[in-house]
Amino acid sequence: MIWVRRPDKRDVDDLTKEFIAESQEGLDRMERCLTELEARPEDCEQLVGEIFRSVHTIKGTTGFLGFSRLEKLAHAGEHLLGSLREGRLAVTEELISGLLRLLDGLRAILTLIEETGGEGTRASDEDGALIAELAALNCEAAAALDHEKAAPVVMMKAAGEVEAAAQSTAAQVHAAASNDKTLRIDVDVLNRMMNLVGELVLTRNQMLQSGVEATNFPELARRLDSVTADLRETVMQARMQPVGNLFGKFPRMVRDLARTCKREVRIEFSGQETGLDKSLLEAIKDPLTHAVRNAVDHGIEAPADRVLGGKPAEGCLRLKAFHQSGSVVIEVADDGGGIAIERVLAKAVERGLVTPEQAAEMTEREALQLIFLPGFSTASAVTTVSGRGVGMDVVRANVEKVGGSVELESKVGVGTTLRLRVPLTLAIVPALVVRSGGQSFALPQTTLVELVYIPTRDAAQVVEKVGASEVYRLRERLLPMIWLDRLLGLKSATDEHGFYMAVLEAEGCKYGLVVDDLLAPEEIVVKPLSAVLREIGLFSGATVLGNGTLALILDIAATAARAGVKPVIEDEEEQAAEAKQKDERSFLVFEDRARERTALPLGVVERIESVPLSQIEYANGRALLQYRGELLQLRDDGRVLDEMDAMQLQGEEVAATVLICGDARVKGSPRMGVVVRRVLDVSEGTMLEKDVANGDVDLALVKEKLTTIFRGFCANGAESWKEVA
Amino acid sequence: MKIVGQDAQQIHEEDDSISLCSMFADDESFGIDTGKIREVLGKRDLERVPMAPAFVAGVVPYRGDVLTTVSFRALLGLSESAEAGCVLVLEDSDGEERFGLLVDTVGGVVTVSRKMLEANPCTLEARCKWLFDGAYKMPNGLMVQLDPEKLRPSRLAETGMFKQGAMGENA
Repeated sequence: MIWVRRPDKRDVDDLTKEFIAESQEGLDRMERCLTELEARPEDCEQLVGEIFRSVHTIKGTTGFLGFSRLEKLAHAGEHLLGSLREGRLAVTEELISGLLRLLDGLRAILTLIEETGGEGTRASDEDGALIAELAALNCEAAAALDHEKAAPVVMMKAAGEVEAAAQSTAAQVHAAASNDKTLRIDVDVLNRMMNLVGELVLTRNQMLQSGVEATNFPELARRLDSVTADLRETVMQARMQPVGNLFGKFPRMVRDLARTCKREVRIEFSGQETGLDKSLLEAIKDPLTHAVRNAVDHGIEAPADRVLGGKPAEGCLRLKAFHQSGSVVIEVADDGGGIAIERVLAKAVERGLVTPEQAAEMTEREALQLIFLPGFSTASAVTTVSGRGVGMDVVRANVEKVGGSVELESKVGVGTTLRLRVPLTLAIVPALVVRSGGQSFALPQTTLVELVYIPTRDAAQVVEKVGASEVYRLRERLLPMIWLDRLLGLKSATDEHGFYMAVLEAEGCKYGLVVDDLLAPEEIVVKPLSAVLREIGLFSGATVLGNGTLALILDIAATAARAGVKPVIEDEEEQAAEAKQKDERSFLVFEDRARERTALPLGVVERIESVPLSQIEYANGRALLQYRGELLQLRDDGRVLDEMDAMQLQGEEVAATVLICGDARVKGSPRMGVVVRRVLDVSEGTMLEKDVANGDVDLALVKEKLTTIFRGFCANGAESWKEVA
Repeated sequence: MKIVGQDAQQIHEEDDSISLCSMFADDESFGIDTGKIREVLGKRDLERVPMAPAFVAGVVPYRGDVLTTVSFRALLGLSESAEAGCVLVLEDSDGEERFGLLVDTVGGVVTVSRKMLEANPCTLEARCKWLFDGAYKMPNGLMVQLDPEKLRPSRLAETGMFKQGAMGENA
């Protein structure tokens, strides 16, 4: 008893640490190979070889480190794998399950060693059972090659699966704990970093020697700038980890879960090489695990139901990672049953999250958003509400904590897609620096929608009041205004010029933050605040600005909450914008007859060409143009060509402006040219309803001027434009 | 408790003398063991943190970190000084928490004998009793000893004594 050491991480020496890190990696590889082995038994030879090597390495190393318990277990595993490699055993479910349990056993001991420095011989009887099981698999399986699977074995196996699943999650938690602190870096990257640091030191030396007045100072500053930028990029690169590292955990988890839930699931990956900052990778690990678990548990239906629904019995879970506009998107898509909107709504009403009236008015998208509401998704709600939902609010909260967002798409009977969108890196964010009450604050650019300048003379007019709260009418919507200086209790500085309003949006809240002045947009390096200042809850960090002063980084969502801004559902605006787009469309406005504005929908005009008059030929009384190997008919309603002919007779070289028109929507319709006097404008306009007043001429209002719509481009041209419009 | 502390000190220094860095707030003089001071930054303009507890003077950049700085004047219940004060960088014994201390001016290093230390008078106000760690009887007046451990922002927040604006403080 005396030799039992107190659990203390410091007891683990470097050699053991290295061994643990290596073994964990080996086991990860083994896990991957095992799940692959089950899916593709034809690659048996290569995969078993790989697994064998991992276990063998562990066994070999433990021998001289003196971890006899680990060695014993590894030895038993190696023996079994040896038989498998020599082809004396066939790959069966039981065998894979047994090997997975071996994996869990090895992992558990490794974790124990990492935590306590010893392998804990007191619990050695546990291994006995496992070793016996492996041995049994070894000879029994060899003997039972041609046996049918006996029912009791299956029963036992099923029980074992659940246990294994539970164990594996525990093991994963531990593995995560050790992965947090270590990071593997390519030596080349490290060398590059060292080089850059050397360069940085040299530049500093030169700067110190030459002083600010020196003539080469700007050059040195520039060099410093480039070295810093390079260094930053290299460090970021070192922090980037392929998403595949995270994905690697899932095949095993999905396999175990699928067994427990009696599902058949295939997992597919793409974009594993997509890089993501290490800290972010850790941050999205739990949400992603959650999403995958949900997809298997609730998304994919039981095989029988799938067949009934006309889908293959095996469900497919797709994990996809890719870059999109400065962020990384990770998609978890299943081809399962999807989320039944009406049941979501029913549940939400039942839970009192929305009123029945509200529910009736909700669009599909809004209804799906309900799933993210806290309180919607308790375990019971989820299993009854077909969809996913255990703690979806937690998933969203976790992703939003690192500046990301979550989207959900679902189609009943087709499947559900959950999209996590996370920024590339956390440490450096683009921000807008503002001043308020004599202090600088940084607003993350991701939350910034737009900026409004309000001159003092207009202030009284544009800032309207509803009760005591002030609002700003932004494109016919009322936006709550928050005065940053008042919110923070700062002395308000009155400026005679006016003030700025930053329109911000975070976690569904949209508001205008009033600040005194805007400084430059800057890429800021986020520094954490001490616990005492974090408690204030309004600042997510601080940063050192270019001029050497500090600025606090404002937490946009927390500020909104402090000021009492509630999230609003934004669809209304989008619909309005869509509606606007419906009756507004772009027109190319030109003049063909003198002083008459004529317009063509911009969509049908392919090009505007300037054609020398000599190139226009005539046949059968019609003007024709050879254009890119095609014979175009020219329409000349305004008799422009005749005028030009007259001008040419006077000896001038003239060119006609021809609009090359084609209707892409009507296939096979010939293109034609329209000769115009001049092109006036491209602008938005509204088609007018046809009525008696304008006869049978199509009219449109473009820039509030009456404009004729050019007709006869094709017989029903205007009609079809209208239909589309 | 004090005796234990002294024992620890004596391991480092054979004789019973100790070097303190003297500093001033208003007219009073205070001393902190030089071993516990990482750096004296000198006069600095602090960036204030709105809504922070009254004892936080602001934040100051220090070697890639953002240091929370405690205003010693606020702790003593004095009004804010018009001039920029001096910032000292202190570190707790584990080296885990680093923070700044804002005082009016920093004097110099003085070597004193432990025998000159006398415990806090029993009539001392509760807040000061908590902050002060006895006083050295110097030839030219008393110098109050401070324990950096107790000046840690997180510790100050825990006690709750300094959360509210100190008297005369209009924060």
